[in-house]
Amino acid sequence: MKRRSFMISAAGTAAGLALLPRLAFAEAGKIDVYFTSDQNVIDFWTNVVKPKFEAANAGIALNLVDGGDSAGVQAIAERALAALPTGADPQSDVAEGFDTRLPNGGIEAGLWVDFAAAGLSNYSKINPLALDIPTSLPYRGSQVLLAYDTTKLDPANVPKTWPDLIAWIKANPGQFIYNRPDKGGSGGNFVRRAIYEATGKDPSKFTVENYTQELADASLNPAWDILKDLSGSLFDNGAYTSGNTQSVQLLSQSAVTMIPAWSDQALSAISQGVLPETTGLVQLTDLGMPGGFTKIGVFSNGVNKDAALKLADFLLTEEIQSAVLTELGGYPGVSWDFIAADLREKFKDIVPNSIPVFPGGNWEKAINDGWYRAVAPNVDRTAA
Amino acid sequence: MTALPANDIVGTKSSRRPTGLLLVAAPVLLVCWLIIWPIISAIIRTVWLPDTAGERRFSLETYQFFFSDQYSINNLMVTLWTTAVTALILLLICLPIALYLRFATNRIAAYVQGLAIFPMFVPSIILSYAFIRVLGPNGTVDLLLNAVHLPHIRSPYLTPWGPVLGLVWDNIPLTVLILLSGLGNVSNQSIEAARDVGAGRIAVLWHIILPRISNSLLVAVSFTVLGIFSAFTLPYVLGPAAPEMMGPFMQRTFRDLNDPTTAITQAVIAFGFCIVFGLFYVYSVAKNRAP
Repeated sequence: MKRRSFMISAAGTAAGLALLPRLAFAEAGKIDVYFTSDQNVIDFWTNVVKPKFEAANAGIALNLVDGGDSAGVQAIAERALAALPTGADPQSDVAEGFDTRLPNGGIEAGLWVDFAAAGLSNYSKINPLALDIPTSLPYRGSQVLLAYDTTKLDPANVPKTWPDLIAWIKANPGQFIYNRPDKGGSGGNFVRRAIYEATGKDPSKFTVENYTQELADASLNPAWDILKDLSGSLFDNGAYTSGNTQSVQLLSQSAVTMIPAWSDQALSAISQGVLPETTGLVQLTDLGMPGGFTKIGVFSNGVNKDAALKLADFLLTEEIQSAVLTELGGYPGVSWDFIAADLREKFKDIVPNSIPVFPGGNWEKAINDGWYRAVAPNVDRTAA
Repeated sequence: MTALPANDIVGTKSSRRPTGLLLVAAPVLLVCWLIIWPIISAIIRTVWLPDTAGERRFSLETYQFFFSDQYSINNLMVTLWTTAVTALILLLICLPIALYLRFATNRIAAYVQGLAIFPMFVPSIILSYAFIRVLGPNGTVDLLLNAVHLPHIRSPYLTPWGPVLGLVWDNIPLTVLILLSGLGNVSNQSIEAARDVGAGRIAVLWHIILPRISNSLLVAVSFTVLGIFSAFTLPYVLGPAAPEMMGPFMQRTFRDLNDPTTAITQAVIAFGFCIVFGLFYVYSVAKNRAP
């Protein structure tokens, strides 16, 4: 059994290598940035932010680390919080795309730098719509829009309002799919747009604080009815993909004609050829689908805190904010007045003046659980 | 396996020093610390709940909720269904492969073995996306069928069959290796002897080979069942939104719904099913070690 003993020893060696202890120490002058965002954002940092920042600040380097998702970066933040009382090195400086309300007690303990008091020269340029809490610095936004196949759907006939969209989906059964609301923002914000539709298209009705069981029942149940009514006309009689990327994949395989997609993800998919050139993008005009701003947090106990604050200020410069528009396909975190005039002119049609932002917290939990219980199962998938 | 001291190491003679026991002490302690204790702590946390005043008291309400909630029961049922179907298909596919590898003597066997082991080196997340490309809607299979004017098949992607197909492919290497090691116990002489007295292929398989490898079959089934029951990536990416398998369901309850107590309850229930197969495995190993 030579073959097998070779297999076993090879596997053993590989496992052994993986288990070797790997020690890491934060280096002075090397900012450790942990990401929750997808690969396209990390690519943007690698190709745009990192070279520009390092060129402008000799002696400072960026170390970009994919933290996976919010829970992954939360583990890093908890490590920093644990290191706070002892003054130990948390080996982390910046958390990208992370809600600094987490981990619990972090803000109270002074884990995060308060940007309002940090004296950043560009802080006043931030779009007031994007400001949330002073420990989170918004540097880019994105919004969910509809991506569709122009070879199957003439851009002249594309639905531009919610009622038109519903009518189109029902008239073209099997040609639309959105992902499960907890597995990615594109489907999640499509679901939230349905909630707005069911409650009179007024985003100001929902705030983190005003969540009550009664309000949730009154506003979510009608939305579930809209979505349940829609499910039979979706791809494969009510299938839901498990993430933004899988929806894009189905559109690229021409299995469906239209999906909700993140503006930045759709634009970079088109530029990389993942989606064909013939992909069209459209935003609903009666009320846009929600989006959000992505923020960074800076650890107050990071070894490179001062350099990290320089980086935070650098992110808000016109150079980077314009690149967010042109290279990443995102929306700037600063007000539109601080964007190059030609870009302002070029993008004025696709960028709306308001991006509805649906609150998180208890609302998110109620939407995720409610959708799984009310919308996902009540479909007869075997129906023709 | 190392946790069970074999008779020849510990010995029954009083003159033996407890060296053997010391040798197994480290893994046993590790198992107690990292596995046994978390299980006990999980069970305690789900039955010893705080009431409205914050006082902890004994209560089975999380379990009552699980078993009275149709949504949770559906998820459990689809997990059991997926596990049973996948284990059955695995045995049907892997037993012939293992038999072929055991008795073939030519060069091709090496390639077949390589091919059978290959899935072990493919991360399941890559497998999932490849699956969507190949078996998904308008995937390779669809295009090939279309090219020869065969009807369009309904893709298993996002149906309960998606995870089944993915898990079968993913678990082939382990199952084949376990069955192959069991087939090593079947001596060529006993098969030749059976052939000499006129036994056909089926008779040899049924009366000579299967009784010898029943132990390996049990081990293979236990291993795959444990793996499939707790599978996460493949059901997450390939399965339907509802009902979902216990792995994604637990993760979603824990993270998205921020409800650790319910998630732990689901985990304890899943553990309850898995322990049956764990005991099967321990039983078969212990039987093997008996003199």
